[in-house]
Amino acid sequence: MRSMADQFREPIVERVYTLNLGPQHPSTHGVLRVLLDLDGEFIVKADPVIGYGHRGHEKMGENRTYKQFLPNASRMDYLSGLLYNHGFVLAVEKFAGIEVPERAKYIRTVCAELNRISSHLLWFGTYVMDLGGFTPFLYAFDDREHILDILDRVSGSRLTYSYCRFGGVCQDVDAQFVDTTRSFLKRFRSRYHDYDNLVTKNVIFIHRTRGVGVITVDQARQFGVTGPNLRACGIPYDMRKIEPYEIYDRFDFEIPIGTKGDALDRYRVRLEEMEQSCRIIEQALDRMPGGPFWNEAATFKVRPPKGEIYFGFESARGQTGYYLVSDGTPYPYRCHIRVPSYGNLHVLTEVLRGTMMADAISILGSIDVVIPEIDR
Amino acid sequence: MGNQKIEPGEPVIRFALLDDVLNLARANSLWPMTFGLACCAIEMMAAGASRFDLDRFGAGVFRPSPRQSDLMIVAGTISKKMGPAIQMLWDQMPNPKWCIAMGNCAISGGPFEYDGQYAIIPGADLLVPVDIYIPGCPPRPEGLIQGFLALEDKITKGEDRNILRRFHRKGGKS
Amino acid sequence: MANKDVMIEKLRSMLGDDAVCVDDKYGAGVVSAATAPAAKLVEALGVFKDTGFYLETMTALDFQDTQEIVYHLNCFEPMSRMSLRVLVGHGVSVPTASGVFTAADWLEREVREFYGIQFEGHPDPRNLLLPEDADYHPLKKDFGKVHAYRTRDEIYG
Repeated sequence: MRSMADQFREPIVERVYTLNLGPQHPSTHGVLRVLLDLDGEFIVKADPVIGYGHRGHEKMGENRTYKQFLPNASRMDYLSGLLYNHGFVLAVEKFAGIEVPERAKYIRTVCAELNRISSHLLWFGTYVMDLGGFTPFLYAFDDREHILDILDRVSGSRLTYSYCRFGGVCQDVDAQFVDTTRSFLKRFRSRYHDYDNLVTKNVIFIHRTRGVGVITVDQARQFGVTGPNLRACGIPYDMRKIEPYEIYDRFDFEIPIGTKGDALDRYRVRLEEMEQSCRIIEQALDRMPGGPFWNEAATFKVRPPKGEIYFGFESARGQTGYYLVSDGTPYPYRCHIRVPSYGNLHVLTEVLRGTMMADAISILGSIDVVIPEIDR
Repeated sequence: MGNQKIEPGEPVIRFALLDDVLNLARANSLWPMTFGLACCAIEMMAAGASRFDLDRFGAGVFRPSPRQSDLMIVAGTISKKMGPAIQMLWDQMPNPKWCIAMGNCAISGGPFEYDGQYAIIPGADLLVPVDIYIPGCPPRPEGLIQGFLALEDKITKGEDRNILRRFHRKGGKS
Repeated sequence: MANKDVMIEKLRSMLGDDAVCVDDKYGAGVVSAATAPAAKLVEALGVFKDTGFYLETMTALDFQDTQEIVYHLNCFEPMSRMSLRVLVGHGVSVPTASGVFTAADWLEREVREFYGIQFEGHPDPRNLLLPEDADYHPLKKDFGKVHAYRTRDEIYG
């Protein structure tokens, strides 16, 4: 005989509920919209919708000379703007055969590594803020302001730089730059211990990141994941060592790798990378030669020969590439930029499946995407 | 009751001193909506962070929901795909509400506006009524704070009546 | 034997010797550039995948006489980038590579919306970056403001 309760129980119907995350959301890093199909708390399907920051960089690249495209380069990934600026300048210098003085190479390397540290610091602050801890955000931004002071004094801007020019840098650095950078390194290394104690050893943080969002090497290869996300899976793939450009082969630094590919490993890899960047900066400051800082005469008319070039370098998010096709005029025929966040976001369509809603925020934060660089 | 014509949108009953007090309260507790679109968003975050603290102006509480905020800072380039979203967010915000266009892209398209641009809306004032324009690419956090102070003076109706804080614009009176 | 040498051998045997040009000095950023006909495209990409390569990026070029799709593939070893090129005429469609590399899913959506090149068999041909209802192809050289519209020989000839 059926009990009384059975008569009131509804038949179980499978209900999948579509939730729209973004494009205006505190945790999406830029204007990202993710259409989530949820079954209770579990994500059944995740479909990122991008394009809310599309500004037409590639079409602008075809309508601008190489020199006029310089401001565009750092506005794509504004957190590592100097790295993108550096990469574009290197690509065109290789294409057009422009010589760079030695001092400029060292200056550019120091500034690029400072930019990498500032990008990782911002990621660190916003990631822990997404997980609910507000204090590390303030500490990280404080450190970041010191870096921005150094770069601001020498280049004139805090966020979107055009400091690296074809043939060198546009302004020389003086002794105060060297002194401030050294004192920043000393201060940063002592703060590093604070970050370790505040966050890395924090039980709540470990519970929210260990085992969460595992990316396998096969998934990485399928989707084109690069950068710290790939290094957390255990592959020591860093463009500074794989295809050394500028003077990175003269410095002694390591590539930190993880083992499991979860969010905690990605966090640890980025933290360790900041320390390695400090090592590179120290070595570069010790060995910086004197001499000219800009081969200005060679860049009067930047006219690469007919043909194409693909230049890959390591930005803060992964492997970035500039693919330039030239028809012999000062205007590129095609300017395509390969961005690391493309693959890093695409892999989420597989990784987010089966996770819970709160873990999705943790995973989104740990892969470190900047949406305007995907949207170009 | 008299033949005084009431313009649409204006309050019918005015309390002179209470209005001033309310405006003072609104100006000193502006709650911005987190609406960073591109690079300027980072400078907005830096303005809210430890060195350039926005909390001391009462404006440090960034609300993610438009229903709980009264200031929309359009920080970044507005793409054509994002335009309807901005319209919807502005409509969702309750009155009284204000808008700051931060950065060159929100003012007039910025470095992306050129004679063949197909992808952006050149300026936030084509979509929503903007109160304060802050130029820069990106503007420094101090610039954003200056914009906040200008907005506060606009809310409390003018520099000369604001006895608590005087905001001197270069070349302006008082 | 390094992955890239294995790959060059396989490409030579599949596409013929003159379709593969090797540049050990990495002058253009690639160690080898191969041209494949559209019919052999998916097979070539499958060989890349089996040798351990990943699809780095994919883009297209618009010329007056033809359009060209360029795939850049790389593996986790030093100096191993290779490019694979396919010539397609205007209005001709190409088989999809999303069955081989999942990264091609989004990359082909982007190429389709910016160049108008159709990919047969693509599971989800929506717009990726442009608004959902956009029916224009911005990166084609007959859209908007264009500085130069050339034939393929003017650049690569």
